[in-house]
Amino acid sequence: MAKGRCPCGERAQAAPSIGGVDQYQYLMLMAACLLLTLPLELVIGARVWRRPRRLLGAVAVVVAIFGVWDVVGIVRGHWTYSERYTTGVLLPFEMPLEELVFFVVIPICGLLTYEAVGTLWGRLLAWRRPASSSEEAR
Amino acid sequence: MPEYTALAVLSVVLVLAAERWWLRTGLLREPQYWVAMGIVLAFQVPVDGWLTKLSAPIVLYDDAQTIGVRVPWDIPVEDFLFGFSMVTTALLCWVSARRREQRRAETAREGRG
Repeated sequence: MAKGRCPCGERAQAAPSIGGVDQYQYLMLMAACLLLTLPLELVIGARVWRRPRRLLGAVAVVVAIFGVWDVVGIVRGHWTYSERYTTGVLLPFEMPLEELVFFVVIPICGLLTYEAVGTLWGRLLAWRRPASSSEEAR
Repeated sequence: MPEYTALAVLSVVLVLAAERWWLRTGLLREPQYWVAMGIVLAFQVPVDGWLTKLSAPIVLYDDAQTIGVRVPWDIPVEDFLFGFSMVTTALLCWVSARRREQRRAETAREGRG
């Protein structure tokens, strides 16, 4: 009856493709997010990467709070991670490396979006009323 | 209420409370914030959708811990609350730090003047 718990008998299904790219899928998705948002800094001029101290502070808070939530979710069985699509590198409390990367990357994308919107907004206003004084205070 | 659902709702309440009674940055009154959050939401759908798709999931959820509504595609709706809380937390830290830096610059200027 305890078939489900027995790793012997049947061959392990969906064996992770060793050496393949599948195990980097989660990390590659995160890399794509970083690459895709990079023009917000380099082209639009969001100035998020160029404020490393402020960036580090914001990311550290997110990692601390949402890292704890992630571990709670793992311990309480809210979610699990595919062995096939992750590297299998585990941090303390069984948190996959990919989750830490997620908590770093996604806030950066959010900050870049916010700053890019602000920059474009400011430019739009300046363009619509160019005559109104020389307020370049931002 | 399922646990993930409860935690997701709680996180939104805590983030809003922190802004309302503690940080008071005014972030949530900025159109800039809401436009940015709209864009973030639009990109959360493909990214989170990829992570949670039931055909080849990277993150697997216990259905008993959510209300079971997975939309669009297979994204548990709780994830949208999680995403809101996480990105808003980052932004609140960011604008709080900006405010602190500005105040410091002001006092330095006054000190010199």
